[in-house]
Amino acid sequence: MSAPASVLADRGAELSGAAVRRLTRRATAARADTTAAARLAEVWSSLVSGAIGVAVVAGAVASVRERVTLAGAPVTATVLPASVTAAVAAVLALAGLAVALARLGPVSSTPAAAAWWLPLPAGRRDLLRGELARVTAAVVGVAAVAALPLALTLTDAPSAGGVAAALAATAGTAAALVGAVARAQTRGGPGRAAPLAGAGAVAVAGAAVAGATALAATGGGDLPALPGVPAGWAAVPVAAAVLLLAGAVAGLDRLGAGQLRALGATAQYAAVSAVSLDARELGRALAARDRREPRRGRRFPRVAGAWQAVVAADRTALARSPWHLGQAAVAVAVPVLVARTDGLGALPPAVWVACVAGWALAAVAAGHPARQAQAVPALDRLLPLSAAGVTAARVVVPLALLVAVTTLTGLLLGVGSGAPALWTALCAATAPAWAAAALRGAFRPEVDWSGPVVSTPMGALPTGVGATLVQGLDAGLVGSLPLAAALVSGGPTPLLVAVQLGWSVLLGAGVLTLVARRRGGPG
Amino acid sequence: MTALLAARDLLVGHGAEPVCAPVDLTVAPGRALGLVGANGAGKSTLLQTLVGLLAPLGGTVLLAGREVDERRADVRRDVAAVLDDEAFFPSLTGREHLLLTARGHGVRDPETVVDAEVAAFGLGGRIDALPSRLSSGQRRRLALAAALVRPARLVVLDEPERRLDAGMRTRLAARLARLRDGGTAVVFACHDAGFLRTVADDVLLLAEDACPRLDPAEAADLLPAL
Repeated sequence: MSAPASVLADRGAELSGAAVRRLTRRATAARADTTAAARLAEVWSSLVSGAIGVAVVAGAVASVRERVTLAGAPVTATVLPASVTAAVAAVLALAGLAVALARLGPVSSTPAAAAWWLPLPAGRRDLLRGELARVTAAVVGVAAVAALPLALTLTDAPSAGGVAAALAATAGTAAALVGAVARAQTRGGPGRAAPLAGAGAVAVAGAAVAGATALAATGGGDLPALPGVPAGWAAVPVAAAVLLLAGAVAGLDRLGAGQLRALGATAQYAAVSAVSLDARELGRALAARDRREPRRGRRFPRVAGAWQAVVAADRTALARSPWHLGQAAVAVAVPVLVARTDGLGALPPAVWVACVAGWALAAVAAGHPARQAQAVPALDRLLPLSAAGVTAARVVVPLALLVAVTTLTGLLLGVGSGAPALWTALCAATAPAWAAAALRGAFRPEVDWSGPVVSTPMGALPTGVGATLVQGLDAGLVGSLPLAAALVSGGPTPLLVAVQLGWSVLLGAGVLTLVARRRGGPG
Repeated sequence: MTALLAARDLLVGHGAEPVCAPVDLTVAPGRALGLVGANGAGKSTLLQTLVGLLAPLGGTVLLAGREVDERRADVRRDVAAVLDDEAFFPSLTGREHLLLTARGHGVRDPETVVDAEVAAFGLGGRIDALPSRLSSGQRRRLALAAALVRPARLVVLDEPERRLDAGMRTRLAARLARLRDGGTAVVFACHDAGFLRTVADDVLLLAEDACPRLDPAEAADLLPAL
């Protein structure tokens, strides 16, 4: 092997970060298969899809507003003004966004950039500035599209200025959040951002639920509505965003290659999961970073058989995942907040949807141990249990968690309704169906991408994708139909409670049989 | 001679658990240290810690007398590393990857330097192909070439012999020996006895209970038993 004996370099000739990015971008662009026309068509198609989505959501929100004005008696005592519930919802949404940002960086490097850019002498600030800008633009874009239908429909006569101010405030808040998390990342604190955001969300939701329940119990009247915000308030989050993002950019030089590489691998895993519509893998990608070594291993002294071992392992897995326990707490809060909100609480379908959404969250949390087992199926096969036996054992912990969540939801909904025991029993009776739903979701098959495709607004998708993705949620939704009947008919009765329990148990048993049969099959 | 790289009581690992016993090592300019050990003994983890990609669990790593911190540009100028992170920009050819590295480091006459490395690594016919069109061994050669198209005081390689054919292994070992003789410090993990004998002046055996220093010949004889 002959090569230059020594390679000489001049510091003055080193490429800056911007030059490195430019060189890479130009080489990539020179080889791109797309034309400007194709890219324009892609942008146009995205804009049309976005506009259709905004129109659909705006229509739904307008319809809810109209129904609220015509609504009759509330399901239970309503004490929360819509502005308070909207504020709590905004806090939950921001916390969710902060968690996702903290777990994915927000600044990270793709494996290729980590291997070829980060070892260069070029300053990290120049190299990574574009990445931060891309993340900020994506988050701001998604936030603006999500806020647009609300800005268009939440007032009787929306003005262009009002909509623009709402969008600017939303975009500013989203950008400020990216800046805050990125700034924490540059100061070595991204690991604390996610737990802090999660704990904050649980605390705010818990405080709102506790306050509303106390008012309902004492008949203390409605909470006052939040005061209106002064004109020009949108400038505040925008100014905060500018300051926080500037601070984050200034700190990019402090980011280490090891951290950027690890975050990039997580982001790539999450992106692949999202593109392939695999919510289960996406959850694994987002959960991976907070896992800590347990302080001490468990010895399981009371475990004396395979069945108990499965239950003990599931209990340990759930106990070691505070994120999922927080998710269960939010699951209780969602239906209670909707039912206690003026207007919304008088719409039985809205309360039912909130119950389904909240308990679906709880089912996802309860399915955490089963999802871990699904990732390593060989461990279950080592147990001296049939597939039905393993499935029956695996449903114990989800059932316990869902009984707790649904019972607490019913108890809190029942306060001030005149029938607290019936509400509690009715909600608790849905738990078997939701526990089975947790397992059905955890053990659902992979999406089959090899099937014949159909054209959708999201592009061509194989048939059956939707049916696969909703596995789990479908069982809980169908299992909660008697609850819908109780809400529409004016409240729970002993007969409806019995019907709900019988239906939930039957459906749950059927779902578990299907899950066991699928797991016991070849492969 | 003053050590370029020095580690004292160095504990390495992912999370809180060390993967091997504490390590003491020094590597002077013009010397080569080989790391051997069974799979999972901690060779890759130690290399990542030595170049600052992983924080040590205990002890210190000094590069030219200062704690190693790859966030400093001078550390990145001094250290060329090929670790277990082979990844490429999918739209850049092999030559463009090498030119990016050479130009990024301010190499004089980068085209000539890259051409020489392309020839040395036997990539001449394929260097203008995209990485996805290269074989696994060719991608490995490309990654190794990138460590040599730029100046460095310390070259760190994780199992450089991996996926190379026998001829390329021999030529690469000879090349690294020449590099070492020219004053560059080399640290590498290795499972190949011949490679170890050719390149290493000194060998560190990584294990859970202790990490003793060995003579290269002694270590090469030990490799089949690991």
